[in-house]
Amino acid sequence: MLSARTWSVVAGKGEGLVATIARAQARDTIVIEGMVREGNVTVDKPLVLIGRPGAGIDGERKGEVLTVTSGDVVVQGLVIRGTRISNLDDNAGIKVKEARRIALLNNRLEGCFFAIYLSGVSDARVEGNTIVGENLREEQMGNGIHLWKCKEVRVLRNTVERHRDGIYFEFVTDSRIEGNLSRGNMRYGLHFMFSHRDAYADNHFEDNGAGVAVMFSHHIDMQRNRFIRNRGGSAYGLLLKEINDGEIRDNVFTDNTTALLVDGCNRIKAMGNTFLLNGWALRLYANSMTCTFEANVFQGNTFDMSTNGELLLNTIVGNYWDRYTGYDLDRDGRGDVPYRPLGFFALLVERVPFAMVFSRSLFVALLDRAERIIPTLSPEAMRDDRPLMRRPHG
Amino acid sequence: MTKVYKYTLVDLARNRFVLAFAVLMLVLAEGLFRIEGDAMKAMLSLVQVTLALVPLVTLVFTIVYSYDTQEFTQLLAVQPIRRSAILAGRLAAIATAVLMALAFGLGLPLLVHLPGMVSLLLFAANALLVLVFVALGTLLALTQRDKARGVGIGLVTWFLFVLVYDALLMALMFALSDRPIEPWVVPLAALNPIDLARIAVMLRVDLAAMMGYSGAVYQRFFGSAQGILLALGLMVLWAAWPALVAFRVFRRKDL
Repeated sequence: MLSARTWSVVAGKGEGLVATIARAQARDTIVIEGMVREGNVTVDKPLVLIGRPGAGIDGERKGEVLTVTSGDVVVQGLVIRGTRISNLDDNAGIKVKEARRIALLNNRLEGCFFAIYLSGVSDARVEGNTIVGENLREEQMGNGIHLWKCKEVRVLRNTVERHRDGIYFEFVTDSRIEGNLSRGNMRYGLHFMFSHRDAYADNHFEDNGAGVAVMFSHHIDMQRNRFIRNRGGSAYGLLLKEINDGEIRDNVFTDNTTALLVDGCNRIKAMGNTFLLNGWALRLYANSMTCTFEANVFQGNTFDMSTNGELLLNTIVGNYWDRYTGYDLDRDGRGDVPYRPLGFFALLVERVPFAMVFSRSLFVALLDRAERIIPTLSPEAMRDDRPLMRRPHG
Repeated sequence: MTKVYKYTLVDLARNRFVLAFAVLMLVLAEGLFRIEGDAMKAMLSLVQVTLALVPLVTLVFTIVYSYDTQEFTQLLAVQPIRRSAILAGRLAAIATAVLMALAFGLGLPLLVHLPGMVSLLLFAANALLVLVFVALGTLLALTQRDKARGVGIGLVTWFLFVLVYDALLMALMFALSDRPIEPWVVPLAALNPIDLARIAVMLRVDLAAMMGYSGAVYQRFFGSAQGILLALGLMVLWAAWPALVAFRVFRRKDL
């Protein structure tokens, strides 16, 4: 059996990267030094590409920078830049097509159109990459990490900034997304559709144009993520649309216009989440069914909840609401009178948005209090029968 | 004017009402911060309480004090001092006294428990409210001979501003909800100084929710610091006009 060779490519010397890849055998390693100026580099055999400190590939805006079409490829420690902006080709810094067992580790992608683009890939690991786009217009910037029809991918501890969508998934199943930081992206920090059985944990989404939107997927598990400062008319900390069987647990939502929007979802369990200082903490549309909201913390929000209809087929129980003023005579830590999270004012603003001007007016406060005691406008079922007296965890 | 200011202030320093107000505010603010574990939540309760209480106390105190010192004012008027100097000194002294009470009772707890932009804004809004209602109270006391009547009108004025005005405005908003009344709501609210103070604070406190407002009319007003500055600026106007009218009335008044 032939033993694997190690090739060395030094920028500006020798025959260059493309030629070296052509001569290399499967399972060889190529070590790159300095900035190699070659675009449209294709890796079509199982190779390991490793960059020495400061090494990288500059595609000089010819098209794609690095295209991987073979399985068992590792790309590690490279600086990648210089894609051509084109909405016809979706050029990417690193594009992987129809391959298995891929690892993209600790690379730095600067100002790429799409940065990392996986299409038809399974069993891949995208870890520790730093991806920084340019603040161009939305149509001139692609996504940071873009996955299309992939499965069993792990996206771990990456940083994505200033792209269109930070992390974008479509038809991606059985994957894990952990410890990523996605902030300052033009559209969504995380955006996925038709992506089932995926787990998202310990990610941090901050200051993205429209927050996080996830749609048309089932069996989603989201834990300990942070959704921070996503503000604007249609910006959401987390927008769930047509999501079935999801678990949203121990996440923190701070300072968003709308922290959590639940639209047409079934069997969602939202537990142990913290909603802090948001405009609307929870917008629960009436087309959602059998969702459970339990042991969440609602604190300092302008509105705890709002809805758009009379119907409520969901369970809201045992949460902590900082506006709750009831008592606990039997000392079991649960209030003895129900809490109605839907105030008069929330209903009013839902109908007349500019009534926002009256926020925190004494008159509104009185009406709000009256509505909570004797509900006439809010749906009867919209209440927490066993609200927590004290804030749990932390 | 400085002499009048000085002597009135010395007199006010011994006034139990001012002292009681300072202590009440301190107990209230300190108590809220201590009972609520969360400083931000205490602050939100304070917004509601102070925006109602500060105008009430300021207004009633100014009116009562004006009547109580009527003889002193008459005494001053026979001296070779210009009447505008007398009134200016008195206005400034009353405002200074109440502001000092406010700084002690509200400013101090805010500074200790929640130093920052929101606290500063709440204090500024309340301070401007003090100016507005000192001016209004003085004007009321000058135009009404009878003390009971003066205080009564003062209470009605306060009640109007703090509750009735918003109720009427919202009723109007609903009655005309199928017409394009949106551009009129904020200007109408600006006719009420308490609403102005509230809006200035709210534009900061409810910023996240404000950004969700998608209408075109108040987009800029709601999302920026300009709105806050505008609201506070209008409050200065609100303090200026009753004061100016009071000067006119006082100059011609038969004491």
